[in-house]
Amino acid sequence: MMTENSDICGQIIAGEFTKILIREKSNSKIELGDLLVAGTSEGYLILQVYDLIYGSQIPQPMREHLSGMKLEGIGSNLGFVEPHLRNYVLAEARGILNVTDRPRSPKILPDFFGTVRAITPDDLKFLSMPTNPIYLGKIRSGSKIVDVKVYLDGEEALRHHVLVPSTTGRGKSNLIKVMLWSILDKKKFGILVLDPHDEYYGRNSLGLKDHKHQKGNLLYYTSDPPAGTNTLIINLGSIDPDHLNGIVRLTDAQEQAIRSYRQNFGQNWMLEVAKGTDIEGVNRTTKAVLQRIFRTRLGIRINEEGNLVSINRIFSDSAGESTIKDIVNALENGKIVILDTSKLGDETELLVGSIIANEILERYQNYKTEGTLQEKPTVSIVIEEAPRVLGHEQLEQSGDNIYSTIAREGRKFQIGLIAITQVTSAIPRDILTNLNTKIILGNEMSTERRAIIDSAAQDLSQDDRNIASLDKGEAIVTSIFTKFAVPIQIPKFEDYAKSQNSQNSKKEKIQFTG
Amino acid sequence: MPKFAHISDLHLGANSDPILSRFEMEAFNKTIDTCLEENVDFILICGDLFHVSNPDLQIVDEAVRRLKQLLDKEIPVYVIYGSHDYTPNGTSIVDIIESAGLIKKIVSGKIVDEKLKLDFFTDQKTNAKIVGISGRKGGLDKEYYEILDREKLEKESGFKIFAFHACLDELKPAYLSKAESCPISVLPKGFDYYAGGHVHERLETDLPDYKHIIFPGALFGSQTRDHETSGKGEKRGFYIVSFGDSIDEIKFVPIKVCEFLFKELDVEDRNSQQAEKLLTEELESIDVIDKVVTLRIKGELSGGKTSDINFSILRQNLVTKGALTVYLNRHGLKSKEYAMIKAAGEDASTIERKLLQENLGTIKVSQDLLKGDKGLRLALELLKILREPVKSGESKQDYTERMREQGIRTFQLKEVFSS
Repeated sequence: MMTENSDICGQIIAGEFTKILIREKSNSKIELGDLLVAGTSEGYLILQVYDLIYGSQIPQPMREHLSGMKLEGIGSNLGFVEPHLRNYVLAEARGILNVTDRPRSPKILPDFFGTVRAITPDDLKFLSMPTNPIYLGKIRSGSKIVDVKVYLDGEEALRHHVLVPSTTGRGKSNLIKVMLWSILDKKKFGILVLDPHDEYYGRNSLGLKDHKHQKGNLLYYTSDPPAGTNTLIINLGSIDPDHLNGIVRLTDAQEQAIRSYRQNFGQNWMLEVAKGTDIEGVNRTTKAVLQRIFRTRLGIRINEEGNLVSINRIFSDSAGESTIKDIVNALENGKIVILDTSKLGDETELLVGSIIANEILERYQNYKTEGTLQEKPTVSIVIEEAPRVLGHEQLEQSGDNIYSTIAREGRKFQIGLIAITQVTSAIPRDILTNLNTKIILGNEMSTERRAIIDSAAQDLSQDDRNIASLDKGEAIVTSIFTKFAVPIQIPKFEDYAKSQNSQNSKKEKIQFTG
Repeated sequence: MPKFAHISDLHLGANSDPILSRFEMEAFNKTIDTCLEENVDFILICGDLFHVSNPDLQIVDEAVRRLKQLLDKEIPVYVIYGSHDYTPNGTSIVDIIESAGLIKKIVSGKIVDEKLKLDFFTDQKTNAKIVGISGRKGGLDKEYYEILDREKLEKESGFKIFAFHACLDELKPAYLSKAESCPISVLPKGFDYYAGGHVHERLETDLPDYKHIIFPGALFGSQTRDHETSGKGEKRGFYIVSFGDSIDEIKFVPIKVCEFLFKELDVEDRNSQQAEKLLTEELESIDVIDKVVTLRIKGELSGGKTSDINFSILRQNLVTKGALTVYLNRHGLKSKEYAMIKAAGEDASTIERKLLQENLGTIKVSQDLLKGDKGLRLALELLKILREPVKSGESKQDYTERMREQGIRTFQLKEVFSS
């Protein structure tokens, strides 16, 4: 397997199982995160560099002395004899995959004193395209791109949840856009995107709306819809007290009160709470507090003429009766539905998501009972700042909500989450371990890196520095469905979209018959 | 102050029941009478004036006589096609009546550079500018909205009405969630009045950038669901809209031609005998005199079959008590034997076959023709026949007759019926 002398970039000179020491060939420029290949008796090992240190044949006092002389102006011409033999870089690496007839986790060391070389696409031939692929990018070795495309197996990955931990500006929305673009016309997955920054549709720039097959596959709901898109308007009658669970903090008395309103007024319960209608068993204080909660947190009030006012124009008592059903029907038909929640408060956004998630979960539970669930596409919900619903604090104070329920048991019903967070450490461990695929982007906070590493599907204990040094667009994919933690380079969405959209599609001519 | 009447979904000719058919025409006549009394400047019909594109000529004759009366009084009638009376080749009864000068289709425009450029029609008396898009079967009008040049329409000055025959996503009732519809954003913004048709329930609302979106709903009702809705209290009628430079008043004018009654009865967990007893008792106590009665019976019988309940007697009892006509909706009524049968298969026809097979095994029949494989073949044959749609140009009566003949042939009952 190994190889032309010119391909060699180093040689294994010492080490142990988790710390293989490689002497770099001069000018080979081994980088942190580089994937290297070392021979074994049965095949080859893929190694990943996790640290770089200097090595020298010259004792340190002599190097200090020489440096002093040069810096102090005595002997500026002094240098090392054959410097490439005396001073060099040592790379610390560990085996991440043993490739024989069947790639597996390594349990052996590579040949001692064997040479190593940079990875090539041929070394990764075993990576095949899954049946329902979601494109992520290309394999990355350090900062170099290897021409091998990386896909998630959508069917498995989505229902087992995806976590995207990242700090601001590391390209998480770029990643999600690339993923969604790659599946937009496949009708294999229903994806609900709660978009608090209104960045996925591409209202004013390139976005999913520009996909040449977006028609019939993409729905966009917003309070200010561009032509052809939908108004995000929800009839109050679609909301059930259960939808508020774990989203809006309520005391026991308040919860009991809203259930009484539901019992008394059916679908009109929210309207009657907003009106402050008296009912037996609910005291005036509770009623007033509920009115205030509706007004301040959900933006619902009744004006002087007795009409409903929804501050962010999302709730109505006359329109939006079928909005939730339309959205869930679309998801069930493998479409992508983007909800622009940029003008909504946190609780309103999560409530809207909760109503939809409840409806889809209920339907899919029924399909399971009927034995027809397998015919339905997997549904996934993209949620930003996931600790708002999956965080320790939120769950402790408000109890479980539909998102945490989905995180724990959604996979039985083909429903998953794509949870995005800057604060992985805020999510309880039992939920983190349920998020079985993690696409790790750069993160400068050590506590967050630790939380990510501790919950990864593969051993990333030595990747702390690697994760810290990830540039924008660089990521590591760790998943129970991948053979190793895969370093990837995510393409820039604009470049990817343009390259995918380049083929022209024929437009059907429309006849106007009046 | 100028005013116009906004009517939609008259569906003349929809009700085959002679009593309902009479009421349907009476609602139309009352509407025309009101328009004459109110001396409206024009009438705008937003689709489905007739239930089909080639309706019974007796219906047409009656409608034409009233339209002529409006013409004589110089009240123009502007129309757009609805999904029911539309034909792509201009041979609908709407086209013929237009050729006779009794009504005016106001949809006009052409596709230029992949954009649909619509022309405004201006009413001479009031200067109201009307533009619109007709409804087409199966929601095919959706593609027109998608390529509509909205900017051109939005720039037009004056009092503007947009007429359409379509369901809007945002205003669709929940039960129509699977029906074809388009988002409001496909309509041009800033018109003074959005005159809708197609949805059979009345609705008046505003949405951001779209003021005065009005659906009058069906004038009388063309299907059982409409009569159910009327029985639940939905008022049928149309709108009279007064305007100057902008809307002054939007007034709903109820048109009541008969009393409706809707009753839902739940027989859950009762066997067929108990259910029949309950239904008889419940129906005994309701006042049905001179009412159009729609009954919805639901629930899962704990024993016996749905066919054990003598619905024709129940119906007859109500008629004897004075009901004008009775509609029975039994879709929600199941018997346990039927409900428990589940069938899986590769496609709909396989599942259908398996379900029929299973169900045949649960029924006792005396006729050989209805048993086993023979029964299955017969049921499949009958289903095939019943799936046949109305042929182009075929009247409802001809269609009914064709279905009847084929049914008799399938059941091999020709001799019985000929004697």
